[in-house]
Amino acid sequence: MALPPKVTITYCAECGYEDQTLALARALMLEFREAISGIELIPWEGGTFEVSVGGVLVHSMARDGGFADHGRIKTAVRETLER
Amino acid sequence: MTVSRERFAQGMTYDEFKAQMTRNRETVEANERAAEIADEDRKVFSRRLSALVLAEDWCGDVLANLPVLGRLAKETGNIDVRVFLRDQNLDLIEQYLNHGKFQSIPVFVFFDGADGGWRELGHWIERPESVTAKRREERLKVFASDSRFGSPDAPVDQLPADVRSELQARLVKTRADTAAWANREVLRELRELVSR
Repeated sequence: MALPPKVTITYCAECGYEDQTLALARALMLEFREAISGIELIPWEGGTFEVSVGGVLVHSMARDGGFADHGRIKTAVRETLER
Repeated sequence: MTVSRERFAQGMTYDEFKAQMTRNRETVEANERAAEIADEDRKVFSRRLSALVLAEDWCGDVLANLPVLGRLAKETGNIDVRVFLRDQNLDLIEQYLNHGKFQSIPVFVFFDGADGGWRELGHWIERPESVTAKRREERLKVFASDSRFGSPDAPVDQLPADVRSELQARLVKTRADTAAWANREVLRELRELVSR
């Protein structure tokens, strides 16, 4: 069985992306509870909003545009858990 | 379909937008103070224009570029700025999508309402291409300057916290160092847009 993945949200603190960051963290906490090993929040700069699941970048505002779709992140977590 | 004069008039003034901001107002005001308006800007914006803006107070490009327009409007006294929140005005953002698909902000749309008419002169989205290119170039230089920073394409969460902190400080400094130049690039593009 694979180790529970850690989710990392790197967000632009200069821009004030705290609300979107916390909303995503909350959604993941409620959905996966103890099935994930942790959620790390990294304040960053330059308009960044990136989400990694188990070390794999699954959303990047620069690459994909906008904030992460919660459903997409949940799917990525589920896929990591089922590996 | 262009935006009507009546729809335009429903927007907030620049000061009203600032008053309703839930975050980053001090950043906007600092950037407004830092923006320098040159004689060539005053000359081009010596006629009455209207500028529709789509914005949100959490967007870095809005925080950087809307204050430049705000300062230009204040210094010239010739631009009627009306701001709409993007997420509450989807009918407007849908008309000005970046590359036809992204809801990038800020959007500035200039109108000439002289002689009782109402003519759209053009629109501007997000930031100048030259600024994007320069920032990319500067970012690559920072990463290349220290092997501990790793690849510029790798998520920064893979870096040790102390290295990450150092990288962040370097990136913030790079952007601060190019801010005045970036403001001039914004003004250059706005001058070109309304001069077409």
